[in-house]
Amino acid sequence: MWRKLYAWLEDRLGLEEIYKATLDRPEPKGNWWNTLGSASLFLFLLQGVTGIFLTVYYTPSPDHAYDSIQYIMNDVAFGWLIRGIHHWGSTLMVIVVFVHMVRVFVTASYKYPRELTWIFGVGLLLLTLGMGFTGYLLPWNQRSYWATEVGTRIAGSVPLIGDSILRVLRGGPDLSALTLQRFFSGHIWIIPALLAAVIGVHLYLVMRHGESHFPDKDD
Amino acid sequence: MNEETKKKINQKYEHKLAHGERFWPDSLYKDAVVALGIFLLLILLATFVGVPGEPKADPSDATYVPRPEWYFLFLFKFLAIYGQIPVLGRIEWIAAVLIPGIFLIVLTLLPFIEKKPDRHYSKRVLPISVMGIFVVSVVTLTLIADHPLKWDAQYRLTSLLQVISGLIIPTAAYLLLFLFSFLLKDQRASQGMVLTAGLSGVLMVGLTASVLFLAPVPEVEEVFVANTLPDRVVAGQDLYSIHCVECHGDDGSVTVIEGVEGLDGTVTSPISGMDVLYTFTDATIANIITYGQQDLGMPPFGKAAGGELSVSEIDYIVTFMRYSWDDRFEMPEIPELFPPLAEGEVPSYEVHIAPIAKRFCISCHREGKDNNNYLMTSYDEIIHSGDSAPNLVAGDAESILLKVIQEQNILDENGEEIIGVMPPKSVLKPDVVDVWVRWVMAGMPETVDGAAALSDIVEPVER
Amino acid sequence: MTSSNRMSRRDFIKVTIGAIGGVMGVLLGVPVVGYLLQPAFRKQAAEAWIPIGKLEAFTIGIPSPFSFTRTKVNGWERTATSYGGFVLRRSEDPKEILILSSRCTHLSCRVNWNEAAQGYLCPCHDAKFSIEGEVLSGPPPEPLERYNEFKVDEDGNLLIFFEEA
Repeated sequence: MWRKLYAWLEDRLGLEEIYKATLDRPEPKGNWWNTLGSASLFLFLLQGVTGIFLTVYYTPSPDHAYDSIQYIMNDVAFGWLIRGIHHWGSTLMVIVVFVHMVRVFVTASYKYPRELTWIFGVGLLLLTLGMGFTGYLLPWNQRSYWATEVGTRIAGSVPLIGDSILRVLRGGPDLSALTLQRFFSGHIWIIPALLAAVIGVHLYLVMRHGESHFPDKDD
Repeated sequence: MNEETKKKINQKYEHKLAHGERFWPDSLYKDAVVALGIFLLLILLATFVGVPGEPKADPSDATYVPRPEWYFLFLFKFLAIYGQIPVLGRIEWIAAVLIPGIFLIVLTLLPFIEKKPDRHYSKRVLPISVMGIFVVSVVTLTLIADHPLKWDAQYRLTSLLQVISGLIIPTAAYLLLFLFSFLLKDQRASQGMVLTAGLSGVLMVGLTASVLFLAPVPEVEEVFVANTLPDRVVAGQDLYSIHCVECHGDDGSVTVIEGVEGLDGTVTSPISGMDVLYTFTDATIANIITYGQQDLGMPPFGKAAGGELSVSEIDYIVTFMRYSWDDRFEMPEIPELFPPLAEGEVPSYEVHIAPIAKRFCISCHREGKDNNNYLMTSYDEIIHSGDSAPNLVAGDAESILLKVIQEQNILDENGEEIIGVMPPKSVLKPDVVDVWVRWVMAGMPETVDGAAALSDIVEPVER
Repeated sequence: MTSSNRMSRRDFIKVTIGAIGGVMGVLLGVPVVGYLLQPAFRKQAAEAWIPIGKLEAFTIGIPSPFSFTRTKVNGWERTATSYGGFVLRRSEDPKEILILSSRCTHLSCRVNWNEAAQGYLCPCHDAKFSIEGEVLSGPPPEPLERYNEFKVDEDGNLLIFFEEA
């Protein structure tokens, strides 16, 4: 019975092929340093899950953002846990992604044939920092408000087009409700969508070329 | 890269694969273990460290020292150090945009810049040295990010160390590295580079450590954040007791202000009355506190209008007013102002006197009020300050403060009142007076431990 | 021999991976369920004695309206809800009072006392209740709700006991 059902599904879905292509791949002898990439992916997924649950209560408006976070932290069951994981997860994700980049650099894994994997990887590092930057403003507390004030001003110091960049980031000349709304949208839709797409490409390339082996003396 | 090298690389990889493992389950097993470790670490952090509380954003608070997220701190610090360079330091965008921009472009295009197929670290001394110095820079700059960069006597040395470790050493090291790689050959080049990178790394770490050791970070005043409703109500009551009581009275029922300089006889609506509480929204009350009602005599209290209260603090006061006076709200259970004393127990400044002073005295006995220069905001002030000091003498039941809070005013030789009864418009409850008396008679201990040492608690002995 | 050992090691690894996934799923899943379903379990119980006016202000024999407001805290927002009703004093005896809610039991419209009709009329679907709150005509399924617990304090205020459903 199960066998039949499996065969039917297999016929339609090609599970074996997916299994062969994604999971049953040969790899060079592994090393714990190789887990950094998957750890980044794990953190991305965890941030996604906890982030989605935070939006159940969070309200992106200067009038309500702070109070809604206070509510999550103090009144919602396990709200402190969900937000705590999301808060510390962001810190850990930046660290893990950065260390992953350094590891790939040290083992020179970005060389032929993995150049593109590296370029998309740098994109992922920048997008991760973008997630951190946009997410930081959302609690609308003193620390986040002033960090964003400074951050956007630094971006605005670009010669000639600085003022335009600043206005685009803030949604106007000042840090306001528009900024919060923009950062919220960027944090939950735009950047995650980009991240997911680039992660897809990055993973495809990793599978296509296989994980690089640790270099030995004659490499 | 020619086809032959590519073929060689691919052959080598095939060989490695043949002697390797399977992704499922061998590699995935390690990934799963690491993921579990990260997950547990996050749960521990969320449970035991939590997310630090912060007051609500206050765009009008110009005194707040802005700080970016921790992972941008290194860039922030780099900007600060770069700004110390004469002339060039003025052009901010060089450090803020140009240098990070160049770095990012190099990082992205790395596979096309470092084209040689060599992968073993012994053949990549230059790139690894450059990256090593960069990583050490990022870490050390992050560590010293909060240390002041000033040229007054106190910070001159550590500021100099910061500039050396954050800017001069890495710049010099990069120059040396490229010099070696162009001028020297093979063995000697890599020796020079390893030496440069190692030495500069050690120096940067050493200098950073000495900065951390020599210059303590100026302590940032911790801002109290009330999280639960009872906390907010209590915080609001304390703030109300300091800023509002003088005019509006402790129950908000005052209709004609008395005994306040410049406002004597001013008519005010009783703010605990339903006329105010039913018709004014929270936002309206907050605005009145923030901006005042100058024509009616009420000064502004919010930072936005030059006062001293933050957005969060005004929020607490409004919460206190609502829950205490608005009969549509149910008051949550409020913790007591101070823990009740057992027989023979001696109160301490930190647990008993400080909250009492905050609730009943500081309203007037702080900087800038008419109070005979008697301030009560700290332990030292309570004991030593004032024109008629000492107001408190350990063990003296006739201390001025003890007399006035027990409704005996102080007169001079001519029978004129020098100090009236305190607080001027109300009478302290007996248990509050008792705390004061016990505290003074027992020797005015500051800490809980000090008070415990003086205590002689009468406890039934169990046998 | 070695091969069978290897297989068992593999199986062990597979089970471990599954277990790790399960542990994380439970550790995150249980709090999340609580997080999402909490509104179902937390009931805001609100009850209070509410003064609705001086007893002497209500004329004997004629229903007189009263209203009061209660504030509810929903999350971080406070909303005021108003309630209304009618007081009918049957005699001088402060126990002889009938207090009705003005909420129509049909679709929650507010009923009004109509002196000419000698009944409470609902403007929405022309329902009519008697002075005692019984349904006389129209769609309402039940009589008007009564505030059965009430008292008069020393100052002569009439208070009703209010319980939020």
